[in-house]
Amino acid sequence: MRAHARLSAALDVATGRTVLRELHSMAPLTLFPRRGGTGAHVYLVNAATTPLGGDELALTVRVGPGARLRLSGVAATLALPGPHGEASSATFDVEVGEGGCLDYLPEPTVVTARARHTALLRADLAADARFRARETLVLGREGERPGQLTTSTRITRSGTALLHQDLVVGDPVLDASAAYLAGRRVLATEVLVGGADPPAAVGGDWWALTPLAAGGALATALAGDAVTAASDLDRARAHHPGWARV
Amino acid sequence: MDALALALADSRFPGGGHVHSGGLEEVVARGRLTSERDLPLFLSGRLRGAGELAAVFAAAAAHAAARSVHNGHWTMLDAELDARTPSPAQRAASRAQGRGTARAARAAWPSPVLDGLVAATPRPHHPVILGALAGLGRNLPLDAARVAAYLAVSGPASAAVRLLGLDPLAVNAAVVALAPAIEVVAARAARLAGTDPRTLPAPGSPALDLLAEAHARQHEKEVRLFAS
Repeated sequence: MRAHARLSAALDVATGRTVLRELHSMAPLTLFPRRGGTGAHVYLVNAATTPLGGDELALTVRVGPGARLRLSGVAATLALPGPHGEASSATFDVEVGEGGCLDYLPEPTVVTARARHTALLRADLAADARFRARETLVLGREGERPGQLTTSTRITRSGTALLHQDLVVGDPVLDASAAYLAGRRVLATEVLVGGADPPAAVGGDWWALTPLAAGGALATALAGDAVTAASDLDRARAHHPGWARV
Repeated sequence: MDALALALADSRFPGGGHVHSGGLEEVVARGRLTSERDLPLFLSGRLRGAGELAAVFAAAAAHAAARSVHNGHWTMLDAELDARTPSPAQRAASRAQGRGTARAARAAWPSPVLDGLVAATPRPHHPVILGALAGLGRNLPLDAARVAAYLAVSGPASAAVRLLGLDPLAVNAAVVALAPAIEVVAARAARLAGTDPRTLPAPGSPALDLLAEAHARQHEKEVRLFAS
């Protein structure tokens, strides 16, 4: 299945509220706006059987100058294999304008047996935009050997590369190696851009909040389960001067 | 591959690489690597994360050096590798080795290209200066990538001998057993050597990054044998 959903948020200067200028769902990607607040909040709801091998999904989000958008998931995504072993892909393209803010908080992605999924996140941020994006990758359901998932994150701000990172889960050597996933079932990251950056790295054995070279910060956690990974990311964010209180 | 590339891959090259364990000391401190048997899995994961990233940038730098690029190109490679290294401890380890390599190189490889690289990036990332030096010696990007990938595993392997007193013959055998995997990584890196630096791959190493940060914290509290 091919689908391209679009979402565009803009600041209504008269009221100071963020309004959704475009809200274009396409099955199996459904966008549900929620009312209330000055910022906009949209739920991204995937059909239960997406992404399935063969799917090519795309989501484009534009957050205009001064607009605030929170885009969150409602349930874990299961990456599933196609009937003939086809790969699936999901591309998420983001632009956040001057003074805009986007929180992208999807629920975990579980890589089920024999799935082959690729996820790409590209974000182009204005100089003073705020951006938060969480990614939680789970190696299979309980007791299941995972399929393979490759994710690419490409964050630029005013044309400068802040973070480019490709990750692979579901490769037996990398999953087990102490140099890669160290045998942990969940890899979670959270990109935090905007506001004051942390002056130095902080962390514990299997989590860290690290300032990026050209601005912004990355929280990383390797955990045995998704709940622990989420609390590690929360703990990391609590050390971030620009994001501790959101 | 010429003798200059061999000099760069030699553990006796005076670039300061011997004080870095590539995360191995932290793994040993946590009791997760205790014998020769544990080494291959650690090294394989290291090769395909940090090793592949180093190979990609070494190949790109060799390609650039052979074409006498303008100084802005070195700045761009430096910034792109920074963006692919989210851990400050890893960035510091790379730049420490890069600076040591640059110091040794200016005595051995005097060239306007090297002067340009050091002027643009006084503390270059290790894979970039390594690749540039290999390229100055007219090595192919493939050779530069091979050296970078090899160093990504040979350094930690020798650290294992020093930290745990592992059998040097078994450790050497573990490194040699990775030769086919090193070739795969180097070939992939070499194919992309001439592409726009912004589009180069960005293989991550999540556990190594966490280990590097933990090592840096511990290093402040207790004396460690290695700087990283």
